[in-house]
Amino acid sequence: MNFLPSNVRKGALLGLLFFLSYISLQAQDGKAIFSANCASCHALDKQLTGPALRGVETRGPWTDRANVVKWVHNPGGFIPTTPYTQQLAASMNGQIMPSFPQLSEKEIFSILDYIKSAPAPGAGPATPAAAGAPQETGNGELIFGVISIVLAIIALILMQVNSNLKKLSDDKEQILRPEPVPFWRNKIYIALFAVILFVVGGFYVAKSAIGLGRQQGYQPTQPIFFSHKVHAGVNQINCLYCHSAALESKHAMIPPLNVCMNCHKAINAYEKGPKIYDENGKEINGTAEIKKLYDYAGFTPGPGAQWDPSKARSPQWVKIHNLPDHVYFNHAQHTRVGNVACQTCHGNIQEMDKVAQASSLSMGWCINCHRQQKIAFNYNDSTGNKFYSIYEKFHNDFKSGKMDSLTVKDIGGLECQKCHY
Amino acid sequence: MKKIVFAASVLSMSLCLWSCGGAHGDDPGHAYMPDMYYSRAYEAYGYNMVNGEYDSLRKRGISYTSLTVAGTVARGEELPTHLTGDSAGLKIANGLKNPLDSLSKVPEQMKEAERLYLVNCGICHGTALDGNGPLYKGGDGPYPAAPRPLNGEYAKALSDGSIFYTITYGKNAMGSYASQLRPEQRWMVVSYIRSKQGGASTSDSTGKATQNAPAAATATTGGKTQP
Repeated sequence: MNFLPSNVRKGALLGLLFFLSYISLQAQDGKAIFSANCASCHALDKQLTGPALRGVETRGPWTDRANVVKWVHNPGGFIPTTPYTQQLAASMNGQIMPSFPQLSEKEIFSILDYIKSAPAPGAGPATPAAAGAPQETGNGELIFGVISIVLAIIALILMQVNSNLKKLSDDKEQILRPEPVPFWRNKIYIALFAVILFVVGGFYVAKSAIGLGRQQGYQPTQPIFFSHKVHAGVNQINCLYCHSAALESKHAMIPPLNVCMNCHKAINAYEKGPKIYDENGKEINGTAEIKKLYDYAGFTPGPGAQWDPSKARSPQWVKIHNLPDHVYFNHAQHTRVGNVACQTCHGNIQEMDKVAQASSLSMGWCINCHRQQKIAFNYNDSTGNKFYSIYEKFHNDFKSGKMDSLTVKDIGGLECQKCHY
Repeated sequence: MKKIVFAASVLSMSLCLWSCGGAHGDDPGHAYMPDMYYSRAYEAYGYNMVNGEYDSLRKRGISYTSLTVAGTVARGEELPTHLTGDSAGLKIANGLKNPLDSLSKVPEQMKEAERLYLVNCGICHGTALDGNGPLYKGGDGPYPAAPRPLNGEYAKALSDGSIFYTITYGKNAMGSYASQLRPEQRWMVVSYIRSKQGGASTSDSTGKATQNAPAAATATTGGKTQP
C-alpha cells in the first residue's frame, strides 16, 4: 500500500466508510419501515398474527425477491400462484395479509436486508443479570436459637464440673462444707426458669391468641404462579387493568381469563424480565407458568391460532384477603370516594412475586386508619364530593376557623353499624 | 395433685392457642367462631362449596366473565348496537355515530376518559398515543407485536364506529376489551383518542366550551335515554 499516494488511500478509506454507512443506513431504513408497517403482525422470531420472518428468504417462493415484492403489493392475488402460499393461507385460518402497494421495491428490499442483518436474540448485549436470589430469612433465627441453647447447656455443664472439682479439692484439703443443693432443687434456678417460661411462653401464647382469626402473612400457593412484581412492577400495568371493578364495586374483581389472554395470546414466553422467585428463594420458570395459563384457557399457541373462550376452565385462585362474614367492606367506597391507594392496605404489591397479606385487617387496624385519614371536604369545586354538603355544622366550623381538618371518625367512621350490620 | 392438673391444663390450653393462631404460608389459620366468620350464603369469590364440590358453580355452567348476560342490558347502559364480531358487524359499526360526541366539552368526563385510556390502552398504545407503551418499549418490552400508533394517519382515517368495534372485538393481536370497558366507556375512550388526534384545534374548543358544559352534559344523557 505504501506506493499509493496518501490522498488515494484516504479516498479509498472514506469510500469504504461511505459504503459501510450506506449499507447500515439501508438496514436502519429497513428497520424503520419494518416497525412502521410490518411489526404490528410480524416479529422476527415469533409467530404473531403473521409468521416469524427470520430466514424468510430461504423459504418457498421468497428465495426470489421479485416474488416478495409481488406478494407485498398484492397478497390475495399471489396466493393461488404457488403451492407454498396456498398451504400458508390454509394454515392461517383464511386470514390474509393486507396489501401494501405504497411500499416501493427498494423499500421492500431494505426490509429484507434488515431481516437478514438483524442480530439473533441472545446475540445482542446480554440483559443485565437479575439481582441474586432474595436473602435467606427465617433460617437465621432458628440457627441463633439452637446456638444459644447449646451455649446454655455448655455453661450448665461447666458449672457442674466446676462445683465437682471444687468438691474434690475440698475433700483433699479436708475442708468440710455442707452438701451443695443440686440445681434442679435450687430455688433460684427454679424461679429463673419459671419467669423465663412465663415471659417467653406468655408472649407467644398471647400473640397467637390475638392472631386467631387474622391472616397477616397468609401467602397461599396459587394454581398459576402469577407474579405481581412482573406485571404491576416491571411492566407497569395499572392495578385497575385487571382488577377493573375496584373503583365501582364491593369487590376488586379477580380478572377473568380473557383479560390474561389479551396479552398472553402474543406473549407466550417469559424472557425479558428479572428472574422470579417463590418465598423459599426457588426460581420459578415463567414460561412454564404461561403454559399453565394456556392449559386453563384451552389455547394452543401456533400459526394462526385462535382462542375459543368457551373451552376455558377457571383456575381456582385462592382468595388471600378475607374478612369475617360479619364485617362489611366495600372497595368502591374506599378507592373512588376515599381515594385510598391499593398499596395502603395491600402493601407493596408491585414488589411481590408471590402475594402475602401485608396488613392484619384487624378491627384495630381499620379503626386506626379511620381516626387518622383526613377527608377532602370540599364539595364546591368540581373534584369534591357533593355528598359532604349535608354536614352543615362542620362547614360552619371550617368557616369560623374552629376546625382545620376532618377525619373519617368525624363523619361516623367509628360507628359500629358502619361495618357491622 | 391439684397443682399438677392445674399446670397441665394451663400448658395444654397455651399449646392449643399457640398452634391455632396466625396464618402463614399456605395455612389460612383458624377462627374463633367459624359460623360467624365464614358465610353460609353464596359470596362472590367465595368457594361456593356444595356437596363437597369445590367449584360447584362452574360445574353448573355458571362462569364469571364480567360480561352482561347475552340479551340483557345493564342498568344505566346505552341500548345495544347489535354488532357481531365479523365483517358484517364492522360494516354496521362504520356507520355508527359516537353518542358522546360532545364529551370533549365536559372537562370532568374528559378526565375520566383519559383515566380509562391510560389504564386500559396506554400500556400498549402509549400514553402519548404513539404506539410505544411500556409493554412494547420499541421492541424491548415483553409484547412482541408493535401496537398501532393512534396518532398516525392510519388511525386518524378510521371511523369512530370502527374504533369502537375494535375495542369490543379486538383486532389482529389485540384482544377484546368488552369485559373491562362498558359500551359507554368505550365511546369515552374513542372520544379521548379523537381529542388527542385533533391536536391544537380541539384544545381551543374545550376552552371555549366550558361555559356551556352543563348543556352539553344534558344533551348526552338525553341522547342516551332516547330509544
